[in-house]
Amino acid sequence: MNALRSALPRILPALRSNVPVGLTLAVITLPQAIAFSTTLAGLPPHFGIYAAIWGVLFTALLNPSRVFSGGPNTAMSAAIGVILLPTAPPFGTDYIGYALTLILLAGLIQMLFVLIRPLGRMLDLINEPIINGLICGIGLFLIFKSLTVFAGLPINTQSEWALWIAWQSFLAALEIGNLYAIQIGMITLITSLAVRQIDALRNWAILIGVAAGTAYSAYLNATIGLQNTMVEQIANLAAIKIVYPSLPVFNQEAMSDIVSILPGAVTLALLGLFQTVAAMRRMNRKIGVFTDSRKGIFADAVSNCMLPFLSSLPTCASFNRMWLVYNLGGHSRLASAISAMILLLIVLFLGDAIAIIPMPAMAAVIMLLGANMINWEDIKPHLKDRREAVVFAASFLSVLFLDLFGAVVVGSVLAIAYSKWEQAHPNISLSGNVLKVRGNIYYGSLPVIEANYHSAIEREGSVIVDISDCYYIDPEGIRWLAAAKASQNVAFTDRRKTQSRRELERRASAETKRVSGRRRRKPDRRQRSEF
Amino acid sequence: MKLLKLLASLLVFSGLYWLAVQKHAERDQLRLASVYLTPNCKEKLARYDLTPAEYYRSPYVQKMTGTESTGRGYRAEDVRAIQRGCNIVDDLQGNLARDGPRERWHANRFVRGTQTKCAHCHQSAGDKQDAAGNRLVGSNNLGASWVMADMYDRFTGMLLPNELRQMQCYINSSNGFKPNAADDVIRDVTAYSRFLAAALDMKIGKRYPEQGMDEIPASATLRRGDDYVRGAHVYRQKCASCHGAQGFGTVVDGRAIYPALAGPDAFSLDSRMNFAKVNTVMPGFICRNMPPQQEGSLDNQQCRDIAYYLSTLPRPAGDLQGPLVAAWQQMMMTVMPPLTRYAESIGGNVAPPASH
Repeated sequence: MNALRSALPRILPALRSNVPVGLTLAVITLPQAIAFSTTLAGLPPHFGIYAAIWGVLFTALLNPSRVFSGGPNTAMSAAIGVILLPTAPPFGTDYIGYALTLILLAGLIQMLFVLIRPLGRMLDLINEPIINGLICGIGLFLIFKSLTVFAGLPINTQSEWALWIAWQSFLAALEIGNLYAIQIGMITLITSLAVRQIDALRNWAILIGVAAGTAYSAYLNATIGLQNTMVEQIANLAAIKIVYPSLPVFNQEAMSDIVSILPGAVTLALLGLFQTVAAMRRMNRKIGVFTDSRKGIFADAVSNCMLPFLSSLPTCASFNRMWLVYNLGGHSRLASAISAMILLLIVLFLGDAIAIIPMPAMAAVIMLLGANMINWEDIKPHLKDRREAVVFAASFLSVLFLDLFGAVVVGSVLAIAYSKWEQAHPNISLSGNVLKVRGNIYYGSLPVIEANYHSAIEREGSVIVDISDCYYIDPEGIRWLAAAKASQNVAFTDRRKTQSRRELERRASAETKRVSGRRRRKPDRRQRSEF
Repeated sequence: MKLLKLLASLLVFSGLYWLAVQKHAERDQLRLASVYLTPNCKEKLARYDLTPAEYYRSPYVQKMTGTESTGRGYRAEDVRAIQRGCNIVDDLQGNLARDGPRERWHANRFVRGTQTKCAHCHQSAGDKQDAAGNRLVGSNNLGASWVMADMYDRFTGMLLPNELRQMQCYINSSNGFKPNAADDVIRDVTAYSRFLAAALDMKIGKRYPEQGMDEIPASATLRRGDDYVRGAHVYRQKCASCHGAQGFGTVVDGRAIYPALAGPDAFSLDSRMNFAKVNTVMPGFICRNMPPQQEGSLDNQQCRDIAYYLSTLPRPAGDLQGPLVAAWQQMMMTVMPPLTRYAESIGGNVAPPASH
């Protein structure tokens, strides 16, 4: 008691500064969380809400970063819906069981990235154009996907390519869509867009939009009647308690289906980790601190292993929410924890108000978020560099033309290719008979070096290979160097060792001196220490 | 600037809403309009005495069994829906309509190519009978299909509503897109199928032999094994005169007189018609429904051979196979026909060994 009394003066100011931040965060997350679970993942609304409570709380407690904020995520929720559609009808018991299994599997796969250090380090190879390409593609996909719910039409089951059906969904919305549903959705959209222009209310825009849509839907229910408007509402909030335990399905009957969703689990795990790592990296650079992304991977993995037992969607970091918390002045993990608690209170006491939110309003929320994911300011820098543009375009198109699993695989391959491409092309110049290699000597760059080396030998007869500016030589490179040294007409020089410089100067002809002489600056130590 | 952006989006949204209202009005008007029937449907629906009335008594049941069957009658709007449904089944592309595909709820949007129609498999507008009026075994009767709605699907084990089954037709058999389950295209065909069930006095939940295809498994043959060379030979004798040497069908004035069995206008790899997917369905269809007017003239082994041969011909990939397979199939559909033609011109067309 005494300890508490003495701690109180320290805690109170922290609470006072973090409660408004937590409230804003809760208000932003709530409509998104419901929309994610109902329109994207095909799960009852409490899944999203619990993700916004427990997911946020766990990730805040497990990650030491002061601004880290987890929670339900669009791409991951959409992935759940796409992966599970072929296995069972959405919202059913089988479907929910498989969803929990899928999330647990994804959590376990993420755990591998924590336990196997190099695997986690590989995630750092995912660069910005790849992530932005994925995000833009998924944003576009979300807009198309929510069209049917927006128009109050039954969602199509069975898997298919998103782009193919987009135009048909649009025509269906125009021709046979429920006009009341479209009205509600449009009111939500327009209200949110209008409110967003007012800076003071910017963070509340989506909530106000949903409130407007709900109010209009309530008005329609009162005047025309729900049996005539036939607009679907969220309604089922019976499961909302403080904790709602659940168990993933692992029985023999389900095994064939579980095996078939394994690639989906990999997709889900990677989608989460890609975003967490990218968000943390971007956040670190924005606010000028460094938190190891491994901490984020750890928080994600542990949370996603626990969340399926609390009937919740998976979690990953969100840059937008982290940026918001930082800008609002939330400088500790307390803000996220408080937001989780506030959300729990809201949901416990305002369940009836949430139950009458119409589904088209939720679809409108998804459309807004999808549109926000396509951010021209993020794309523009990638179009300036040709290589980045190619990577961005490939990653963007792979979401639209392959499935999400294909997109994640393409993204991973691109990441490795991109990071290796530069290293595989060392800068090689021949002046006189000195072949100067700047860059790496490893299995990937050897073909380039060998090609130049052999043509130089053919032309000059004997060659001096200058490897002073090579900062990395792998075992295969060493073997090649040894084999090359065995031949008579080749000499090596490595001017990082002073002894060999004399030797070089004795051997070198007059013209080579000009190039490799005193004017060369010293080997850059900074650069070397980096690798 | 902010205000301008907001105004622009407001304009776009209201424009879209206005468009939606227009399209809805157009549909409502079409629903109320009287239906111009195709010749087949006119004859069939008149024979089944489809008129708005309080009770419905089927002349077919009267004729075949001599008993009266009385059911609830149809309102004028039900009759129109049934008529439109029959039209869609008989003439999906809208070739026989006064106003083109619009009268078929643009059903041609949901199939790829300009040839596919329901009646290719569901012959005689989904209700094939012999001269005496007996329904034929394995003739894909739509009424018999309706009474099996909401049963567990044989292939996937999932509960399969009639609407979903129709969507599968669109994706698989016509390589197309799924109409929305609430679309009039689906609703009218359901109404028509339901009417057929009433007219033929079929009972809900009962399995009739004319429903779907009468499958022919390998166990129904002498187990000589399937052979596509033998199949190709029989195909040339019995099928090629209508379906063409390479199975591309017969097209006159852009209308398919005989449907394609291969190439871009044929059913896809995902279709259950594809022998490689389910190796009993296609033989069943051939044995029970082909050649027209000589149904049952082929024996079981011949049907399996022909089906096997057809599955070796190039055809579109299904949606489930993804873009790589689709690209591959597209290439095969482009490259194979000229190659085959060339091979046959230099002395292909060899008769198979007389016996095995």
